[in-house]
Amino acid sequence: MILLPRGNPVREKVNPGKINLPDALGKLQKSNFTGYLRFDTLNGTGIIIFTSGKLISALFDSDGENLIAYDAIARIFELSLDGKANLDIYKLSSDLAMSVHALLHGKVLYKGQELKLIDIKSLLGKLKEDKMSGCLRIYTDEKIALIFYRDGNPLGFFHDGSTDIETQPGESMSVARLPGAKVDVLSTGGADEIDLADLLGSADLGALWRKAQEMIVRQRKNQKEAQNRDRQAQENDLRVRLQVLLRSTAEAHIGRIGSSLIEKEFEKYFPEGQGWDDVRFNKMLENLNNAAKMVAGPSAIKKMLDDMRKGIRALLHES
Amino acid sequence: MEWTIVTLPLWVIAGVVSFYFSLGNARVWTSISVGFFLILVAEILPTAINFLPGLEVPEVQALTSIVGTIAILVMSHGFQEYYVFSRTLELEGSKPLVYVATLGVVLLSAAFIWVNFTPTARTLELIGVVEKTNWVFLSLINIDLIRKIYANIQDSPISNAFAAFILVFFFIFLWKGSELYIQIYDLETLNTLAAAKGESLFRYDLSFYCKEIGNILAGLSVGGTFLYLAKLLR
Repeated sequence: MILLPRGNPVREKVNPGKINLPDALGKLQKSNFTGYLRFDTLNGTGIIIFTSGKLISALFDSDGENLIAYDAIARIFELSLDGKANLDIYKLSSDLAMSVHALLHGKVLYKGQELKLIDIKSLLGKLKEDKMSGCLRIYTDEKIALIFYRDGNPLGFFHDGSTDIETQPGESMSVARLPGAKVDVLSTGGADEIDLADLLGSADLGALWRKAQEMIVRQRKNQKEAQNRDRQAQENDLRVRLQVLLRSTAEAHIGRIGSSLIEKEFEKYFPEGQGWDDVRFNKMLENLNNAAKMVAGPSAIKKMLDDMRKGIRALLHES
Repeated sequence: MEWTIVTLPLWVIAGVVSFYFSLGNARVWTSISVGFFLILVAEILPTAINFLPGLEVPEVQALTSIVGTIAILVMSHGFQEYYVFSRTLELEGSKPLVYVATLGVVLLSAAFIWVNFTPTARTLELIGVVEKTNWVFLSLINIDLIRKIYANIQDSPISNAFAAFILVFFFIFLWKGSELYIQIYDLETLNTLAAAKGESLFRYDLSFYCKEIGNILAGLSVGGTFLYLAKLLR
């Protein structure tokens, strides 16, 4: 989970599976967009950062993997096409976008420290002493605020709704006062000073998108095949149970020959791979009724057929 | 003792029961029960010669023996079909076809007799031998066939009726076998000659009682078996 304030929302709660992402990113490029795109999925969170239309950074973070640049974009494309992602787009100032980029690519020095247990004055003193560039991330379950530092001096604040680095603590400090607030200490390690290339210019996102589409198609096909196999296995299992029930009922009423009659009729009306069908079942019972007349009277046959119907209903209801 | 007084009513009952049974049950039972019904025809006609005009006509007597032969052939065919069903579980044919085909065979036999010479006593005797031979050997074959059917449907509701049919064919074998033995060895003539000398012929006496007792038991068991079968198939 990447913890970032929301910035100034441009679009929220968009299903990225329903849009052509390379085209959308192209439009953001053309409109000189500055800000970030956040993709929340069940598998992790992806962030794509733009400054002045340049796609400067992409990151995908999950419990098992931490991808950057093209790998991150490819993963974001895959999960978006999978249809289980949520896209939010937030506008930021260039400085803030760069700071966010630096923050995301920096090092986590301390994580999840309970704010009330920390001597915040000592911590700030240490940051100043070490001339650290980075940020303090203060957060609760609902709110996040960032306090940026450069060379040990506070640079500004970023909280939900900000478009630029703010000089007044305002909302950021109110987060720190919330019960259960925690703090992470992150070092940018100078990542904000690197001149960043435009990933849109150096990569064929269309190809990545097509590859992701192919992969999703393949995945869905495999998934469908697996589902079919599962369904087939379930149907076969049910078929065996139905047959066993009918055979034992027939045997109880008209003897072994009844079991053989069921076996024959069942194979005829419900061959392997054929699902349950009441019309075929009734036809099968009709045939069984005719054949059973050879070895039993109407009352025994009626009782047998009634028991079969009851047993089948119960078994189908149960499964 | 006039045995006909005993056997005839038994065959009338057996014939009526078996024909009635043929109407209300599965197709294969039609062949079997129609076959048993034809025994009644073959039994009544020779017995009724003294009472009904025209029955002494040799053609009628020949037809009577042929109907007897058709009876055992039809019921054997029925048991064969039943055996095939018990092995393959396949059913085919229709009830009306059985009635029509049986009637057709009887009519064709009648036509055959009427277009030929009037049967002599020798011809009638030969036709009788053919009839009894069929009964004797097909009874044995049927006993084996029914035994196999019984094994296949052993635990079904009607399996015991097949055990009863084995008994039926054993009695028929006894009855028709004794008749055939008497006829082949001309024991009646030999017995008449022995009687003229004031002697009795044990072989004839034994065969005669076997024949009559076999006939009674066959009639009883046929009627009884079909009634039992009707009860089982209720």
